[in-house]
Amino acid sequence: VLHLLLGLYPPRHRRAYGEEMWEVVRHRHARAGGGARFLAATAWDLARGALGVWMTTTRRKGTMTRREERDGDRDGRRIGSSMGGWGLDLRFVARSLARSPGYTATCVTVLAAAVAVTVTVLAFVRGTLLDQPTYPGSERLVVAWGSNVVDGQLRDVISGPNYIDLRRGTRSLEALAAFHGGGAILEVDGRPEVFDAQQVSVDFFRVVPVEPALGRVFDDRDRTSSGPAVTVVSHGFWRDRLEADPGWVGRALWMNGEPHTILGILPEDFEFLYPAEFWLPLRDDELAADERSRIHYHLFGRLRPGATAADATRELTARLGEIELEHPGLRGWSVLAEPMDEAAVLSVRGILWALAAAVGLVLLITLVNLATLFRIRTLGRHQELSVRRALGASGARVTRVLVLEACGLGLAGSLAGLALAPALLARVRGMVPLWIPIPDSAAQLPALRALLDPWVAGVTVAGTLVGTVLLVLPGLGGALRSRDAARAGRGVAAARGTGGLVAVELALATVLCLGAGLTTRSAARLLATDVGVRDEGLLTLYVGDVWERPVGEQIEYFREVVERVRRVPGVAAAGVIDYVPFEGEDDYARVYFLDRSFQPVESLREEWRRVGEGLFETAGMRIVRGRSLEPVDFEGTPRAAVVNEAFAAKHYPDRPAVGELMSTHDEAYRDFEIVGVVADVRSNGPAEPAPPMLYVPYQGSPRGTTGLYVRVTSGDPIAVLDPVREAIWSVDASQPITRIRPMSALVGARVAIPRAARSLVAALATLALALAAVGVFGVVAYGVRTRRAELAVRLALGASPERIRRDAMMGAVPLIVLGVGSGLVGGILAARGARALLYGLDPLDPVAAGLALAAMAGIALLATWLPARRVATIDAMEAMRD
Amino acid sequence: MAPLDNRPPLKPVPHLILLLLAERPTYGVELVERLEERSAGSVRLNAGSLYRLIARLVDDGLLEPSEEEPVAGAPGAPRKVYAVTAAGRSVLRAEAKRQSDLLELARSLDLVGDEAS
Repeated sequence: VLHLLLGLYPPRHRRAYGEEMWEVVRHRHARAGGGARFLAATAWDLARGALGVWMTTTRRKGTMTRREERDGDRDGRRIGSSMGGWGLDLRFVARSLARSPGYTATCVTVLAAAVAVTVTVLAFVRGTLLDQPTYPGSERLVVAWGSNVVDGQLRDVISGPNYIDLRRGTRSLEALAAFHGGGAILEVDGRPEVFDAQQVSVDFFRVVPVEPALGRVFDDRDRTSSGPAVTVVSHGFWRDRLEADPGWVGRALWMNGEPHTILGILPEDFEFLYPAEFWLPLRDDELAADERSRIHYHLFGRLRPGATAADATRELTARLGEIELEHPGLRGWSVLAEPMDEAAVLSVRGILWALAAAVGLVLLITLVNLATLFRIRTLGRHQELSVRRALGASGARVTRVLVLEACGLGLAGSLAGLALAPALLARVRGMVPLWIPIPDSAAQLPALRALLDPWVAGVTVAGTLVGTVLLVLPGLGGALRSRDAARAGRGVAAARGTGGLVAVELALATVLCLGAGLTTRSAARLLATDVGVRDEGLLTLYVGDVWERPVGEQIEYFREVVERVRRVPGVAAAGVIDYVPFEGEDDYARVYFLDRSFQPVESLREEWRRVGEGLFETAGMRIVRGRSLEPVDFEGTPRAAVVNEAFAAKHYPDRPAVGELMSTHDEAYRDFEIVGVVADVRSNGPAEPAPPMLYVPYQGSPRGTTGLYVRVTSGDPIAVLDPVREAIWSVDASQPITRIRPMSALVGARVAIPRAARSLVAALATLALALAAVGVFGVVAYGVRTRRAELAVRLALGASPERIRRDAMMGAVPLIVLGVGSGLVGGILAARGARALLYGLDPLDPVAAGLALAAMAGIALLATWLPARRVATIDAMEAMRD
Repeated sequence: MAPLDNRPPLKPVPHLILLLLAERPTYGVELVERLEERSAGSVRLNAGSLYRLIARLVDDGLLEPSEEEPVAGAPGAPRKVYAVTAAGRSVLRAEAKRQSDLLELARSLDLVGDEAS
């Protein structure tokens, strides 16, 4: 302990007196005979002495003397790693920064803001792009889609029997699993509650290998349906609902009307693109017995080492060709295997990279800004630095002090930024949903689990420090060039390099401003896009689990539910639709286009929805031609249908769709007539075109679990939830009510990413504007300060303050024009590259460019005017004396 | 009477250290012993306080260290011995003068000696 305390003394003191001090301590120890008391007293004495010596040293070396400078240099060389001259330099840096609180505060604030923003955005980029699936070998995972070029369907699901046949003897894949999302109904507090459950073939856990926290996952024992019903449970459900009791493994849970034995609990960190509480096995025999035309399953595969997704595509397509020979109905299908990582982040990758680029720009602007401020400060310190040189400090020594100063600022700013980051991160995370739906599929991205981890913090701080030093180094040349630099420092020429830096800064800030203008405009456009339903005041939910009932009873059940919900006070209208849009679900029918004599002319797969009476009116979907579905259309066999505009435009480009005849693969929907055309619903989000859609009355073959729209008379639709639920349960209390969401939330989730991007880019641009302003202000203020004497003489000789102020400002105009102009060009070029993110907005959008130009020019002029204003306050006598 | 010196007085402990070293140059451990002895146990310095004072006196040019030849038969490195410099002596002299002037003044006011008288 005492040795450690001796280490607290300044090195010089330790070298001179260390051994003797130790001798005195030993002597005292011998006399006192040791003991805790002695130890405490000596420790206190040593600590107090160390403090005293440090204080004396600091006070004495307020200004470094020539001798000490030399000592420091010599010691530094001799001792190498010891504090030697470094301690002295550090103290010098600390003192000189403390003497300029304005400069220090500006640098630290600017850096802290930039670091906080960078850390936040990097956390998102890493959490989403770089840190996707957590299971081993995820880079070898592929999604295998059924592709039908004839129908224009590139990514579709695959039937059970085809999956079984495709799986047999593949060479490019280690394992291929089928997968289907669904629900599990459990009784909780006397009411049915639905949980996410994913049905997976037994090979699933070979594709996505996972070590269960308890028990086991599916294996060959679960391949056939002869065994008992089993399930694997998520860690979250086990923890929250089963009280983390290990005794549940091997016990049965009553689910979907029968007991399911819990085989195992998944680990806590298990994550898959589709969130679920329960994993249920798809048995091979049931898959094989399914109809080949009933395409239903997503396929996931694990590539063998060395195989590529293209190999899998080729092999599986060839295999499908062989199946086609036996089943001619499958003609036109092929398989498309894509790396899963790619499929998952496809939708947000562009935006995230753009954000990362934007934040990189901000950090760069900050560093350039810092370099500008540093350069100006160094020029202002020429006198001081040249005195130090004259006193014998070596160039290396002065450089070291200046670099230390830059590093100190960098470190302080970084730490302050890291301290700010968690709050910022929490704010941004609040703006985006936890799960982002992926277009064209029911998959969801376990989105943006942004983490403030050591990687992100480390990369940001290291980048900041390296950048600070790299940008500061070129500015040092001026400081070291001559021993009589005091005079050189006053030249305008010395400030020229600084001007260049400011021009660069202005250019970068302009790029960001333009980017902010474009993203804001395109997001505004996107948010203003008519998605085709009136989402305000519309509640959506799913009701029922009546798959097993005869069709007549199903219809009766849903009719009664709608009837009772409509009678709830505050409810204006209600209607059913088999799938609620915006959730990524799709459902296809084979559609036969008939001629006047009901003969099929052509057949194609198109999406269809089965809807109830009053659905279009409840949803606020506009009928553009013909009529809506009327009560008479819901009696008996369906004879009428409505198509959307996209469907009409695709199939009847030259004639009104109304009056055309068609049929489907479904026996309940044969030989019906199109009676109307309804406005498109952009069910994949406002950025995606609406898919062609056929709407038929649902009574032909209703879905056992059906979506329900509830339109309220006014206010928040969630307000009527409780009475609506009671009304539904008054029909049958055993039926589950699930996925309750306001339509506005569903639409909102589809625009969440662009909306968050808009806010983030706007925030970044604001920061960039402020930074650019600081840079311009610094340069102009410096110019005014160094020209005080000249300006004072001119004032004394009768020049008007206005004239002088104008001159001071004019000096900055070329910089501003150069910076903003080149930034505008660069920004437009960058926007062309990122055109895909602009949702159809022209990169040359005059409004965005105008806004960016106005903002930049305004800020730059303000930053010029403020210091120039000081000109009039120059006291001629004082300035001359200086 | 000579005008009173307005320089700050030496503090008691550094003053005592200077006086003892003026009497005879010595090294740290012995100095600790002598300080305790001469102050009748009231000045008992440990390493931290002692060398803080020594360092300051050395930096002020009042003391100077010199290496003493190793004592025959005694183990270890040669000990550093501290001696008062010429500047140190003149400071001691000035301090003595200051104090004697003050004593003179006190005496003229009849403040020296028994309190009763």
